[in-house]
Amino acid sequence: MASVRFQNISKRYNEHESVIDDVSLHIDDGEFVVFVGPSGCGKSTMLRMIAGLEDISDGELHIGDRLANDEPASRRGIAMVFQNYALYPHMTVAENMGFALRLAKTPKPEITRRVEAAADTLQIRPLLGRKPKELSGGQRQRVAIGRAIVRDPQVFLFDEPLSNLDAALRGDMRVELSKLHHTLGTTMIYVTHDQVEAMTLADRIVVFNGGKIQGIGTPGELYDNPPSLFVASFLGAPAMNLFDAHLSSIEPMPTSRLASGATIQAAVDASKAAVGDKVTLGIRPEHVAFSTADTLGAVLARITMIEYLGDSAVVHMELPGGGQTLRAKTPGRPADLGFGDTVHVVLPPEHCLLFDAGGQAFPRRP
Amino acid sequence: MRRRDHLNHQLLNILTWAIVVVSLLPIAWMVLSSLRSYGDIVGGKQLDGGFSLRWQNYVDMWTQVDFLSYFGNSLFICGATTLLATLASACAAYALARYRFRGSDAATLGITVTQVVPGMLFFLPLYMLYQHLHQQYGLRMLNTYHGLIFLYVALFTPASIWIMRGFFVSIPRELEDAAIIDGCSRLGAFVRIILPISAPGIIATATFIFLLAWDELFFAWILTDSPSVQTVPVGIRLFIGQFEHRYDLLMAAATVSTLPVLAAFFVTQRYFIKGLAAGAVKG
Repeated sequence: MASVRFQNISKRYNEHESVIDDVSLHIDDGEFVVFVGPSGCGKSTMLRMIAGLEDISDGELHIGDRLANDEPASRRGIAMVFQNYALYPHMTVAENMGFALRLAKTPKPEITRRVEAAADTLQIRPLLGRKPKELSGGQRQRVAIGRAIVRDPQVFLFDEPLSNLDAALRGDMRVELSKLHHTLGTTMIYVTHDQVEAMTLADRIVVFNGGKIQGIGTPGELYDNPPSLFVASFLGAPAMNLFDAHLSSIEPMPTSRLASGATIQAAVDASKAAVGDKVTLGIRPEHVAFSTADTLGAVLARITMIEYLGDSAVVHMELPGGGQTLRAKTPGRPADLGFGDTVHVVLPPEHCLLFDAGGQAFPRRP
Repeated sequence: MRRRDHLNHQLLNILTWAIVVVSLLPIAWMVLSSLRSYGDIVGGKQLDGGFSLRWQNYVDMWTQVDFLSYFGNSLFICGATTLLATLASACAAYALARYRFRGSDAATLGITVTQVVPGMLFFLPLYMLYQHLHQQYGLRMLNTYHGLIFLYVALFTPASIWIMRGFFVSIPRELEDAAIIDGCSRLGAFVRIILPISAPGIIATATFIFLLAWDELFFAWILTDSPSVQTVPVGIRLFIGQFEHRYDLLMAAATVSTLPVLAAFFVTQRYFIKGLAAGAVKG
């Protein structure tokens, strides 16, 4: 096991364009960290730099106590699981899993012992004699994980390992990966664009965009108190409601005026802002509450669609004045609501967030 | 709708059989003629019934012309060409498929362009080059094994690179990444992982090169004048003399000369079809 430390890491393919721009990050020993972000944000490049598959243009990468910038991939003590499994098609499962040990000239009995131990952990012992083409997608992914386990690495790297699996299998494998982390206790770095994977697996999430870190924190921290507009909009499904607004007052509680004319309070510290500043108001759909007309702060809205999701429903609404839409997530099927209905909703101040014109969040009030 | 599908199916069947018949007809004609007497052939009686099979043609063809020597020359020249061209094209194709380097696009384009220039145009410059090499540097290229092998490797490598490049491109890069993490060098990953996976494509390409070299007549005819280095296609032409065209022996020799090619194809057929299909669809 080992910690991983990035110190001002940059990656450039040419002089003018940085794919990774001055990233610093410390991953603790035994931590499960998930890198998320949209396509092309640099998260996979980060993983490939840790693996030794990409050169580091600037900065230092430490794995454990060692500076790993120039270490060959095979000596970094890492193992990687790829999205498309990357199993060697001409080798059996056992040969695939033992390949690294064979290259390291490990004695045969030791290879057999470690391969069988990993196969038992993943319950794939009956598959050891098969070729990859004889396996299902889920089995292949288990073998790929097995190949990583056999190497007894200090750091596991996962590059979107569940993306090629169907939804049900993805759910199962998620649970198994989580159990595996608890069993092995090894540092794991996991790249995904699936925020459900990020939220369920991670000890900490690192959100990337444009080659820079946009936010680091536990899933709960990032979900409840996103540090930036990008993190707020990226995490959560359905996405956070975001409205362009202007600050109409700051004390006693910041109040922002939406284009519809509605005024909404947010329990944040906006003392550094000024009245009239452009801001973005955000609230998660599950925090939008239906109310009656006489409720303090109630906002009028018209229902434009209801998405029934089984255990919950997402109600899409339009605010007066047009343009601004609002989503509310309700438990179960909202029997008393229908398309075209005019309703009143409340956006509780304690759940509302405010972001400044630069996209940075105002801190919540203590 | 089902009736129309059935009709389409039948039409396709007929078309397929028509293509098969048209393709096999010259071969059948060759085999049939190889078993008729010289008199039957020049008398235009190839298709007359009630004739006896004249196996003697298959004996005479070896004695009238030193066919064994041509056969041996062909096997050596084509074998060496296949080996060298396959090796060169596998390395070049891999580099072009995997690496971006200065001039890689130009190299790929250049390889494609060579395929649209008729090989025959190279005859004069090549002949002069070979003569020059001999006169200036004492390196004899005309009328030698290595002269033909060098030419064939140069002629057939570009097309082979083109075929193999498609094959390598279809192999996911992650396999090499996994191999490197497992402890292979770049070359090790190529040898231990990529080459075994590419075997169908490489065998298909090697067969293709062998077939091309085996059939090549033009340069073999012009660049050699001694039976000690001449190949089968040149040897077969010797059955056509100034006063007599021994079509019976020529057909027997032609039949025999197709045997190694057929054998090569049938042995590698599985890989050939797999190899040609590779790259078309990412599997």
